[in-house]
Amino acid sequence: MLRHIVRRLLILFPMLLGITAVSFGVIQLAPGDFLDEMRLNPVVSAETVEQMRRNFGLDRPIHIQYLKWLSNVVRGDFGYSFSFHVPVAWLLGSRWLNTIILNITAFVFAWIVAIPLGIHAAVRQYSWSDNSLTFIALLGISTPTFFSGLLGLYLAFKTGWLPIGGMTSLGFEDLSPIGKVLDVAHHLILPTLILGFLSVAGLMRQMRGNLLEVLRQDYVKTARAKGLHNRVVLYKHAVRNAINPLITIFGFQLGALLSGSAILENVIGWPGIGQLIVEALFKKDLYVVMAALVVGSVTLVLGNLVADILLAAVDPRIRYD
Amino acid sequence: MRRAWLTVLVVVVVLALLAPSFAAPTQQQRRFTLPDIPNPKVDTHATGEGARYGGVFVTSQISDPRTFNYIVAQETSSTVPLSLVFSGLVDQDFVTGEIEPDLAESWTLSPDRRTWTFRLRRGVKWHDGRPFTAADVDFTFKAIFTEGVQTSYRDTLTYEGQPLRWRVVDEFTVQFITPKPVGIFLRQIGVPILPRHKLEAALARGGAEFNRTWSVATPPREIVGTGPFVMQRYTPGQRIEYVRWSGYYKVDQRGNRLPYLTRRVILIVPNLDAARLRFLAGETDIYAARPREFAEFKAREREGNYTIYDGPETFTSEFVALNMNPRGIQPPKVTWFQDVRFRRALNHAIDRNAIAQQVYAGRATPAWGPVSSGHPLYYNPRLAQYPYDINRAQQLLAEAGYRREGTGPLRDPQGNTVAFVLATNSENTDRVAIGNIVRQDWQRLGVQVTFAPEAFNSLVGKLVGSFNWDAIIIGLTGGIEPGTGRNVWLCSGSLHLWWPRQERCATPWEQEIDRLFEQIAEETDQARRRQLYFRWQELVAQNVPLMYFTYPKTQPAVRNTLGNIKIGLQGAVSPSEILFYRAPVRR
Repeated sequence: MLRHIVRRLLILFPMLLGITAVSFGVIQLAPGDFLDEMRLNPVVSAETVEQMRRNFGLDRPIHIQYLKWLSNVVRGDFGYSFSFHVPVAWLLGSRWLNTIILNITAFVFAWIVAIPLGIHAAVRQYSWSDNSLTFIALLGISTPTFFSGLLGLYLAFKTGWLPIGGMTSLGFEDLSPIGKVLDVAHHLILPTLILGFLSVAGLMRQMRGNLLEVLRQDYVKTARAKGLHNRVVLYKHAVRNAINPLITIFGFQLGALLSGSAILENVIGWPGIGQLIVEALFKKDLYVVMAALVVGSVTLVLGNLVADILLAAVDPRIRYD
Repeated sequence: MRRAWLTVLVVVVVLALLAPSFAAPTQQQRRFTLPDIPNPKVDTHATGEGARYGGVFVTSQISDPRTFNYIVAQETSSTVPLSLVFSGLVDQDFVTGEIEPDLAESWTLSPDRRTWTFRLRRGVKWHDGRPFTAADVDFTFKAIFTEGVQTSYRDTLTYEGQPLRWRVVDEFTVQFITPKPVGIFLRQIGVPILPRHKLEAALARGGAEFNRTWSVATPPREIVGTGPFVMQRYTPGQRIEYVRWSGYYKVDQRGNRLPYLTRRVILIVPNLDAARLRFLAGETDIYAARPREFAEFKAREREGNYTIYDGPETFTSEFVALNMNPRGIQPPKVTWFQDVRFRRALNHAIDRNAIAQQVYAGRATPAWGPVSSGHPLYYNPRLAQYPYDINRAQQLLAEAGYRREGTGPLRDPQGNTVAFVLATNSENTDRVAIGNIVRQDWQRLGVQVTFAPEAFNSLVGKLVGSFNWDAIIIGLTGGIEPGTGRNVWLCSGSLHLWWPRQERCATPWEQEIDRLFEQIAEETDQARRRQLYFRWQELVAQNVPLMYFTYPKTQPAVRNTLGNIKIGLQGAVSPSEILFYRAPVRR
């Protein structure tokens, strides 16, 4: 097991090399660069723009630029953002916590809601409640985040029950510690519901399908024939075995903790890294995009690794040696 | 709200020329003194009537500031938050566009019109209590001209390749020397003055280091200016908070020290929809509504406790350019586009009223030239106009030898089918909507237009790089002073869109525009400058290198709790330093 983990972690390095090299190339090959907006500014001369390009090192061959970036990253320096003139590490560091807070809340909310609903739907297959849950789930799966985000903002505005986006209120700094927590919680409700709803839908359908599969197995019949209580059959045997595929999903979601909310952050103004990264992509703020890619890739790989370890722990049939 | 330092017109005094709607500048009849400032600036827009101290004023902006270093700042998301903290030697009146004293209390121009002597206001203090002197002015211009400092002020203060020269005469006097007379000098000298004692060490370490100094990671109390508000806190992605600067050097007409407001907040919102909702919910006090929102906002005025104003036109119009550059496209296309009759015909076929109605809900004025009808000084109302007239367009094409059989395609004199691609940047929904209207309009002439919006970056690559495009709809930012747009209007300019970087001007009219711009650059007499600008607009309207569509109107919505509201150029609302709260509490 330990050997497997070490091997997986070692594979991470060549993989990152591949991901970053390809991404760097693709970003640079796409037309335009960060200075394009400057080029259309009537008061800035072409010479000035050219000088900025040299200062940013954008005039050198792509492979040289990449190697320079790589050697800096190995030393832990992710470079400077073109548009903010600050180290990329500070830029992401100033906001990653906000993104984590949002995603973990949505994550916990989704699992707590989805698993019982999935079990319920499986046990009462094709009942009125199962059908309506299925309908709601499909609605959730097929609604794009930017739309539900806007809808949520509008509802918050209409009802006045929830804040219209953001993470804290004006005057937040003057609140007591408990007041601060409550204020953030208040702002969290809307994005959590929107983000959570999306994954509740998927998780619930997964849980339902897996459990139905398991409930058709012979050993469930046997257990029932033995006269075991329905509850015991369900929770002690069936659900445990049905949960395996969900662990893989768990790993995936773990990997998306930093990037899963990017679109929603942009719509409702949650001050996380998603907002930064989307803007950086549009503006071609190269090193911000690259850093986001590295962080995203690493979390995804680690998330999958965690899922594999958990699978091995719960399922004796899975061995990595 | 927005003080466009970078742009704009000349002037010291403009009287007879101004349209009657603009009041003549009142000479300061009264003088006041403050304990620390012998000659505070009296703000002409702050009567002091009904004014009271206190209150929080909240606005919103889209996206975060990028830097707190004002001379490095490029985009309005940085310059607007910084304009509350810093000031320049001169300022621009937000209603008349005139240049007025600010950190400089007066100035004189030498007889050869090349040396400007500025007397600085005494007693002005930086937000950390240090006195402001000529050393700070000296330092700021040193920074602008330091190799590697990323600033757009350097280009505007460089005349024919020669940088502006300056010297410190004494602690409160600075002289600037230009290589030749510069007509728009006062427009360009209002750069934000930075404190030497805070930034000297960073500049000594070179331009690259200076660019990174006073980044958004800097604690706000480090950012000291001479402006009306002190930056107190910046929460990334959320808001910037300010408090009143008690040592500010301006007073109202009754001698009360400005600003009236105790606190000032800028909320950072992700997009216009969020900005709108926050205003309607009462969280912010001002919202610059879009033309299409005017009716809806008007209907909700009372319940929302705000007033939406019918503001003037903006200074910028979207336009379509046709490529006349033989290095970029081949005949027959370049031949059509270079033919002025062809361009005039196409211009007659653009239905500007449809654009005004469909894209701007009727709140836009047809544009016939490069200067907006909302411009207080240089708008020429008597230009060649091209009202929507398909018959006239067809007649012009026939005169130029173009033929069309029934409803078939239009053919040029050589028999080629007239077909080309119209591009724009797909991110801009207004331009895409205009493009669809223009495509239909031109197809009525039998011209086969393929409308293909594309990403901004690839569009810019074509405009300034490969030159390989047919027709493009785009807009350029402009200020009060068209003379700053030399990149666009000189035929050697890199943004002379239809044929950039010409060795020698291809046409007599382009040559004349070049000459006009050289004259304008030197002309310090306001009436003469206006004549030269009028002539330039006539040439552009006659020769149609760019076809302007409309100048959209502005419609600022302002909460009724605010006092001293005036609507200025391009829909600017009174600056924060003269606003006050009528009611002690925010709704």
